[in-house]
Amino acid sequence: MQQLDNQEILMKLKSSKQFWDIKKKIKQGFNDQQKIGVNDIQKFAQSCEIEDQLIKLISHILKKSKKRETLKEDQIEFLNTSKIKWTELLFKNLDIVHQKTKNQEEDDTNTDSKLYIYDEKNLLAFLQTFKQQQHSALYQNVQFQSNKLLNINIPLKSSQQILDKYQYLLLQEELQDEKINKIRKQIENEHLDIELEKIAQTFVPNGERCLLYLKYFEFDHQETILQQNFTKLQKECLNQLFYDELLEIDGHEISEDTFYFVFQEQILTCLKCFIRDKTIKENIRIQLQNGIKKEQTEFQLPITGFFPFKNISKYVAPLCYLSTKIHIIYALFKEFFCRYFCFLHAISSENNSILSLCMQIEEIISTHSPKLFHHLKVIGCDTLKLIIHQLVYCFVGDMDPPHILTIYDQIIGHDSLEILVILCVGFLNKYKSKLLLAKNYENVQQIFQELREDKFQELVQFAYKQ
Amino acid sequence: MFELKIFMYNKKLKWKSDFEKSVIIENFLNRGWIKSQEKEDDSTDWNVYWATVWNQIINHFPNHYELTRKDCMVKNLKRFKREQDRETYEQQGWNFDFLPTTYIFPGEYSLFVEEFHRSPNQTWIVKPAARSQGQGIFLLRQIQQLKKISGTTITSNMTQLNLVSKENYVVSKYIDNPLLIGGKKFDLRMYVLVTNYKPLKVWIYNKGFGRFCNEQYTTDVAEIENMFVHLTNVAIQQYSDKYSKKHGGKYSIDALKFYVESAYGTEAFQKMIDDIHNIILTSLKSVQVVIQNDKHCFEMYGYDILLDNNLKPWLIEINASPSLTTTTPVDKNLKLNLINDIYNIVLPNDDFPDNEQKQQQINKIGGFSVLYDESLDLMNRKTQKRQSVKIWK
Repeated sequence: MQQLDNQEILMKLKSSKQFWDIKKKIKQGFNDQQKIGVNDIQKFAQSCEIEDQLIKLISHILKKSKKRETLKEDQIEFLNTSKIKWTELLFKNLDIVHQKTKNQEEDDTNTDSKLYIYDEKNLLAFLQTFKQQQHSALYQNVQFQSNKLLNINIPLKSSQQILDKYQYLLLQEELQDEKINKIRKQIENEHLDIELEKIAQTFVPNGERCLLYLKYFEFDHQETILQQNFTKLQKECLNQLFYDELLEIDGHEISEDTFYFVFQEQILTCLKCFIRDKTIKENIRIQLQNGIKKEQTEFQLPITGFFPFKNISKYVAPLCYLSTKIHIIYALFKEFFCRYFCFLHAISSENNSILSLCMQIEEIISTHSPKLFHHLKVIGCDTLKLIIHQLVYCFVGDMDPPHILTIYDQIIGHDSLEILVILCVGFLNKYKSKLLLAKNYENVQQIFQELREDKFQELVQFAYKQ
Repeated sequence: MFELKIFMYNKKLKWKSDFEKSVIIENFLNRGWIKSQEKEDDSTDWNVYWATVWNQIINHFPNHYELTRKDCMVKNLKRFKREQDRETYEQQGWNFDFLPTTYIFPGEYSLFVEEFHRSPNQTWIVKPAARSQGQGIFLLRQIQQLKKISGTTITSNMTQLNLVSKENYVVSKYIDNPLLIGGKKFDLRMYVLVTNYKPLKVWIYNKGFGRFCNEQYTTDVAEIENMFVHLTNVAIQQYSDKYSKKHGGKYSIDALKFYVESAYGTEAFQKMIDDIHNIILTSLKSVQVVIQNDKHCFEMYGYDILLDNNLKPWLIEINASPSLTTTTPVDKNLKLNLINDIYNIVLPNDDFPDNEQKQQQINKIGGFSVLYDESLDLMNRKTQKRQSVKIWK
C-alpha cells in the first residue's frame, strides 16, 4: 500500500475545490485580525465543523491513493482448492459447449438453450458439494445443522447485524419536492464518496442518478478518456472470439424482455468489449477463476480472467437507462462488475460472496420462518434453490428498472451486496402463504410464473414482517 | 339515431358490440351486463353499444373525422392558428409548433412543389388521408415518385396533380432525426378520453407504449424504402424477421419516461411532458367549434406522437378507433384496464351522463387523470394544467 507523505497530501488537497472553500471560510472567519495563531485556527475550525470536513477530505484522499488490490487467496485454504476445481469444471463445460455449437452448425438445429458455460444453478450445486468434501475438523466449532443446504465453517456476520443495518429503510417516506431539490443540489456539488454514499442510502432522484454514479466512480471529468478506451475496444471486436457467440445467445433472453429489448444491440456491444478489456484483471476486487493454463485446450480464459456465464447480459441491461452514450454505460457496467457483481460469482468467504450471502439467507429464514424453511425442504425445493436466480442476478427480470436501480443505489450506499439478503428474505416472506400450500416443485414454479410485480420497498417491508 | 331505455324494474344493462374483441366483451360481462337478445342487425334493445365508426354515436362523436382524418386535422389546426391572436395564444401557453410542414393533395400540390424546390435535401412522407396501419405510405426524395399516386409521369410544368384514387393525400416534411433508443426509431401511442367538447373535458391515460422499429435507424438513401427502418406501425413491423411475439415491439410509456428522466435529466423530461400535453390540448381545442357535441357521446383517441432527438414531440396523427387487438399479455392487460376505466368514467355506477356535476371534483379515475376541464374557471387554466401534470406524473 502506497503511503502518501504530508507534502503529497497537501498537493492533492490543493487540487480539491472543497479545500479552497474551507480556506475561504477560515479567512472570512478571521477577517481583519493581524495575528492569528495555530490554536486560534484550530478553535475556529472545531467550532464550525471545518475540522470534521478536513478530516473527511484527507481520509478520502488517502483512501483514493490506495491501489485497488485483487483478492486472490482466501483465508480458508479449502476454498482456494475449490476455486481451482471450479475452474477445471468450467473448462470442461466450455469444451462441451464448443462441441455442441459445432454439432448445431452441422445439424442446423435451433435449440440454443444449453449453450452457456455455467448458470446460477450450476454455481449453487457446486457450493453444495462443499458439505461432503470438508474435513470433519472444520465442523468442530460449528453446530452442525444438517437441514441447511450450505453449512460450512466460514466467518459470517450475524444475520441480526444485517437486519439491523437496513431497518432504516422501513422508515423512509415519500419526499416532498423541496427535499428532492435539495438532494439534487447536493449531488451536483458533492465530491466526497462518503457523502455520496449517504445520499445513495437515502434517496436518489432519477434525473441525477447517472451523475451520482459517475462522481462516485470518479468518472465525471473523464468522458474523453472513457470514450477513447471504448472506441479502442470496439475496434478489437472486429476479431471474432468464440465467446462472442455465447454472448449473442445470452442476449436472446434480454431481447424478449419488455423493459430491455430496445437495448439489445447496446448490451451485446458492451459485453463483447468487456471480454476483451485488459484492465479488468487489475481492477476486479476478487479473482473469479484460478486455472492452470492447459496446453491441449483450444480456448483459454478470456483476458478478463474469468468465463462469461449465463445471463451476464442482465448485469448490463438496467444501466442502459442511465445514459444515451454507450461508453458511459460501459464504464458504469465495468465498475459495477469489478466492485460488486464479481462477488456473486466468487468462491470465497468474503462478506459479499455468493457463499456468505446464501448462508445469511438460510440463517434468517430458518430462524425467522422455520415453518416455511422446513416445508420447502420437504417438498424438494430448498429455500436457496428458490431464490438463487434473484440473488445472483440482483432481481433483474423480477423487478422493474426503477426498483433495480434503487437496489444499485443501496449497493453503492453501503459498498455491499447485503441488501440482496434483505430482498431475498422479503421475497420469500411475500409468497410464504402460497408456498406453504405448494405440494411439489411444479406447484412452486407455477406460483412464480403468474404475472407478478415485485417492488423494492414492498420486499423490504416483507423482510421485517414476522 | 338512438334511444336510451331505462328499465324501471331491472337495472341490468344490455350490450351490443360490432367487434368480437375479448377486451370489450370481458368488461361487459364483468359488469354483469346482458347481451342484447334481439337479432343482431336490427337490434335496438341495447343500452351500451361498442360501435363501428360511421353514424354510430355512443363511443364516437358524429364528425370526429375533423380531428382524425389527417387532412382535416391539418386544416383545422391551421385555421385555429390563424384565428388566434398571437398574444392570446402565447398568454394561454399554446404552441402550434408541433405539426411538421404539411400540404394536402391535390389542392395544395403547387404550394408543395415550391417548397420542395426550396428544400433540396428534405425527405417528405406521403400518406393517404383516411387510411390506417401504414397502408399506402411512402417516403419521397424525388417528385417523380408521385407517379405512384397520380398514375402519370410528373413534369416540372405541372401545376396540379390528378390522383388515380379519389382520396386525398397529406405530404409532410419527414422528421429524419427521430429520438432513437438502442439505435431504433419509435413513436408513442397515447390514449386520451374526451367526455365533452363544449365545455371541453379531457382525460389522459397513464399507460401507453412506444412502438419500435425492428431495424437500426439510418438516413441512408439506400434504405429509404425499407419500411422496417422507418414505419413504426405494428401491422408492418410484425412481418420483420426480428419481430418478437413476447414484447411485440411495444415499450411501455413508464419505461420510456424513466429512460428520458434518467438519461436526459428531470428538466428535459418535464418539458417533454408539458409539450405532449400542449399537443393534445391544442389539437382538441382546434376542433372544439366544429365537432358536433352530444352529451351521449364520448370518444377515446389514440394519439400518435413522434419524439425527435431534441426531445421535441411532433403530432403524427390522431386515431378515433385505436387498435384493440392485443399482441402480448402486457398489451391485453393495458387495453382491458383502459376500457374498464373508460366505463368507470362515462357510466359510473351504471349512471347515464346527466350528472356531470358529480364528476367535476374527481381528478383521477383508474389510470385516467383530468388533463383539462374547461368548465372550471378559464382564468385558472394555466394553473390547472400544472396541477394535472403533477397528478399525471
